[in-house]
Amino acid sequence: MGDIASLVAKRLGLGLLTLLVISVIIFFMVELLPGDIAQAVLGQGATEENVAALRERMGLNDPAPVRYFQWLGGALTGNFGESIVTGERVSSIISERFINTLFLAAYAAVIAVPFAIVLGIVVALLRNTLFDRVANVLTLTSISSPEFFLGYILILYLAVKTSMFPAIASLSGDMSFGELLHRTFLPALTLVLVVTAHMMRMTRAAIINLLASPYIEMARLKGTPPWKVIVKHALPNAWAPIINVVALNLAYLITGVVLVEVVFVYPGIGQSLVDAVSKRDFPVVQACCLIFAATFILLNLAADVGAILTNPRLRHPK
Amino acid sequence: MTDTSAIAPGLKKSVLLKIRDLKIDGYTGETWVPIIKGVDLTLHRGEVMGLIGESGAGKSTIGAAAMGYARDGTRINPGSSIEFDGIELTTSTEADKRALRGSRIAYVAQSAAASFNPSHKLIDQHTEAPVHYRIKKRMEAQEDAIELYERLRLPNPGEIGFRYPHQVSGGQLQRAMTAMAMSCRPDLIIFDEPTTALDVTTQIEVLAAIRDIVDQFNTAAIYITHDLAVVAQMADTIKVLLKGEEVEQQSTEKMLASPKEEYTKSLWAVRSFERPQKARPKDATPLISVKNIDASYTGGEKVLDDVSFDIYPGMTVAVVGESGSGKSTTARVITGLLPPSKGEVLFKGEPLPPKYTDRSKDQLRQAQMIYQMADTALNPKVRISEIIGRPAQFYSGLKGTALKSRVDELLDLIELEPSKYYDRFPPELSGGQKQRIGIARALAAEPTFIICDEVTSALDQLVAEGILKLLDRLQSELDLAYMFITHDLATVRAIADEVVVMQHGKVVEQGPKEEMFTPPHHPYTDLLLSSVPEMDPNWLTTLLEERGVDNVGEAADV
Amino acid sequence: MGLFVILYFAFLIIASCLAAFYEKRSVFLMIFSLTMVSFVLGIVGGAGALRFVAITAAVLAFAAGISYAFKEFLIAIAPRNAAKELKTAPLTAAFGMFVIFTYAIAGIFAPWIAPHGESEVISSAFAPADANMLLGADQLGRDMFSRIIYGARNTVGLALLATLAAFFMGALAGLLAAVKGGWFDQFMGRFADVIMSIPSLIFALLMLSIFGPQIIVIICAVAIIYAPRVFRLTRAVAGNVVVMDYIEAAKLRGEGDWYLIRREILPNSTAPLVAEFGLEFCFVFLLVAGLSFLGLGIQPPTADWGSMVRENATLISFGDITPLIPAAAIALLTVAVNFVVDWMLWRSSGLKEM
Repeated sequence: MGDIASLVAKRLGLGLLTLLVISVIIFFMVELLPGDIAQAVLGQGATEENVAALRERMGLNDPAPVRYFQWLGGALTGNFGESIVTGERVSSIISERFINTLFLAAYAAVIAVPFAIVLGIVVALLRNTLFDRVANVLTLTSISSPEFFLGYILILYLAVKTSMFPAIASLSGDMSFGELLHRTFLPALTLVLVVTAHMMRMTRAAIINLLASPYIEMARLKGTPPWKVIVKHALPNAWAPIINVVALNLAYLITGVVLVEVVFVYPGIGQSLVDAVSKRDFPVVQACCLIFAATFILLNLAADVGAILTNPRLRHPK
Repeated sequence: MTDTSAIAPGLKKSVLLKIRDLKIDGYTGETWVPIIKGVDLTLHRGEVMGLIGESGAGKSTIGAAAMGYARDGTRINPGSSIEFDGIELTTSTEADKRALRGSRIAYVAQSAAASFNPSHKLIDQHTEAPVHYRIKKRMEAQEDAIELYERLRLPNPGEIGFRYPHQVSGGQLQRAMTAMAMSCRPDLIIFDEPTTALDVTTQIEVLAAIRDIVDQFNTAAIYITHDLAVVAQMADTIKVLLKGEEVEQQSTEKMLASPKEEYTKSLWAVRSFERPQKARPKDATPLISVKNIDASYTGGEKVLDDVSFDIYPGMTVAVVGESGSGKSTTARVITGLLPPSKGEVLFKGEPLPPKYTDRSKDQLRQAQMIYQMADTALNPKVRISEIIGRPAQFYSGLKGTALKSRVDELLDLIELEPSKYYDRFPPELSGGQKQRIGIARALAAEPTFIICDEVTSALDQLVAEGILKLLDRLQSELDLAYMFITHDLATVRAIADEVVVMQHGKVVEQGPKEEMFTPPHHPYTDLLLSSVPEMDPNWLTTLLEERGVDNVGEAADV
Repeated sequence: MGLFVILYFAFLIIASCLAAFYEKRSVFLMIFSLTMVSFVLGIVGGAGALRFVAITAAVLAFAAGISYAFKEFLIAIAPRNAAKELKTAPLTAAFGMFVIFTYAIAGIFAPWIAPHGESEVISSAFAPADANMLLGADQLGRDMFSRIIYGARNTVGLALLATLAAFFMGALAGLLAAVKGGWFDQFMGRFADVIMSIPSLIFALLMLSIFGPQIIVIICAVAIIYAPRVFRLTRAVAGNVVVMDYIEAAKLRGEGDWYLIRREILPNSTAPLVAEFGLEFCFVFLLVAGLSFLGLGIQPPTADWGSMVRENATLISFGDITPLIPAAAIALLTVAVNFVVDWMLWRSSGLKEM
């Protein structure tokens, strides 16, 4: 078991290191800004006193490495500084919205993951049939459509023309859980459509790859019935690729969520990021980027660790 | 059918498997092309039939068809008939066919390592079929498995089944797979090249074990292989196949003694080429001198340990050993691809820079290589004229008509018609022709020394013979020195002047060929020499008697 | 309802009978199951639902017809080798090629095809479609149709430029890493891993917030984000070639890195690299469209599909499909490229198995 522990530890270490490097990139990218940050934020017309005051407020008079460590230390304790535009604390702007975003992503994932994996396996088993070809065309179409296209189509048909669901996902604190699910159904469905297509294709490829292994042929030649070939011989070896597919697509959800939030005016962290980008509110941008990147890395990390833990060669060392 | 004693001797004559006019098509991505073109086969109970042929002869496809199984991308033509013990497999339902597989017909695959499911213990995979067919209870099946492991002389039979496939060595896995095939005491086992992936010394134990168990239970078997000597040990009858058609079928003794067809005769005749041995020239400096080389791949263990030998101008030195013995690594050190951690390589008495990037154009030119797989040795997207012309252009600066006439000259030298091959691409050539192009590319550099890395082992035997003769002719015409890396002792006998035997990265023994092939040997050389199957059908029996049956397994670990 | 519904079911039943009679099993199963589903649909959704099914089927049949004709056209005009390849193309791939061809024409000849200028105000805001304006006017009263045509040039052109930049950087680095190996390979691999562990849209937003939404920034950002992906693939493809003995033979001959890349590796990696280019183009195109939709891509008044969706989005709440048209234009091109890539990948994998 020592092998596994050290492999997992190594992978965790590498993940942390990547996260650190990314925090450096996110922080120092802003430093690359031509000229002075305070000047850039306030524009050319600002007076010198105003610029100096902003520099003071942003702590720009300290050298960059010092500010980096202050920023990183703050980020670890949930303090991302203050917004330049509103002066609010960044953490108070994004904390509630972050939960909303996680809720939306989780909502989509809970529907998409089982659905996509089951469909992916079915399609892999029926490969080269008409059903497989139709599924191939449909999933290709779905992954080729921008999220806002799918989103607006759903709005048009399910909200405007039939008014089954609200077009705008506004949330309030006193909603019941059922109401919440109803209100956020369209954004979640948009994400489900895109992610399911991706996940199905990847599951199909992974399963087909697996079914070509000699040990599957051996199982068939031993007279094992088809369902048993799948359950007993293919599935135990399919965990690693499936975990990988799920993690990759959950990571994909994170990017998709930004566009979907804008389409449905959903109060999530993606909206804040887009607003902050157009207002050049750097502390908010940096905080959002760091949170997105960290989630992305953690998911990939989880997939790799999962793959290590389910590998029989590693679980039963020589 | 589970009780072996019930099979009376008289039953041995009854027909078990009858294949008539078997035609199988393969899908090329656009159309179906025939790969088996009407083969008949009759197998009696308890009979072992060897299917032999070159790659692409369709032996493996016939083996699968005997189970009523068509691999992905193949289909059995409607006119064919496969009758197993009175059951017509081509028309029976999938469920009926499945009920035969594992219980009455079993299969042993070429690569046991890939054919065992990595997620389950060996014994669980072993007991799957008997438990599924309700032939035995789980515990009973496990006890039976342990008994079979014992009969197959696996070490620790009581315990080995509870390991996972990756925890067991290749030769043992192959025996465990044979045990698995036996688990329901089938009437027929298909062995699909079961020892091809193994080293010769490991091959012996597996062959002995398979032969014993098939004898003990009087199981009929189809033994598929491309190795004549192996099939001579295993089979009662031999069927020779060529490109999906039967050439001839005879009992093993008859087939070996008096083959009828020209093609079969040619298969038997190939080991006849032998060249007189040359002696070292007196007081000459060796062309290549390998001195006390140690080498290892980055961060790994030592793969070469104090390797030294000399190669004299115009002579052939064969380097022999099993996979992992370090023979190819030695070649990499000489060419400079892997700088040694200790020792040096001398060329005509002068040390060569350890890395090829530090060597001069002339030093690079002197030593050329010919590779095992002509498919990967020639760039498929480059014309023959450029493959051969590039070294001439690169080293000698030839251009225009001078270059063209040099390429023509080289093509003549390797016995290929220049006008016909000049503009073609490697994928359009046969294996032997590709290997000739590889030789021409080496010659184009005008070298004095050529490393031949298993140049004949990927080729069919007749073609290999032609290549060996060509190399021999070129050696005498151009005064070349060869370093011949091989695991095949027949090749060594044919072409070598001196032999270097390697094991675990060390030189075990070296000397002139005749000395090496006459006793006394180093124990490993002895093991290696005696493990190479011979055409004599009694070879394995005699060898086992000499070594003692129980020593076979351990003998490999000298 | 009457006549339409009767005709609808009559057609389906006759078609399934014909399929059954000529023993086209899968066609029969498909048509007959559609008939059964239609009974349910007709009861639940009325004639409207059936009409929708009929229109979808007609559109599909039309697309299939035009793809088939276009494929035959290409086979007829292509040289013999290419024609043989084209014959293996499924209808989806032919459809993809047809769409790409149409977009290319629209993009190249935009000023001649479009009836009005891209930023020319000719009518009132959101004016409905008429004989002069095929698709009506946008929020400032510009001709929607002309802007879509110009968008083909601007949006696709930008995505193409950005993909080329990413591809050039990534492929070059990948080839060099494969040939050189050692620390350069290691370093580039690690570097690519780090860049790829930032989600692409997020990374693009970060860069745009700092350097502002200008064309050159978008191209650079996309190149930096996607070059590592191209690098990985090229490294993997070239890695498979580099282990071949003919590369070793060329190295031992003393050939330089550039010769190895140009004469030995590239000829053996073009097929997967071309497919990868198509795939990357789809990703880049969707990213660029997403950025424009967020208002951070090509800036007005230049016509651009992503921003056109955003500008006209309010029309959706009135049940007007105008904002969906540029979005559909984006989806259609991406689908088309994906169809073609899918075919190319299938071909190269099919050849590998042999």
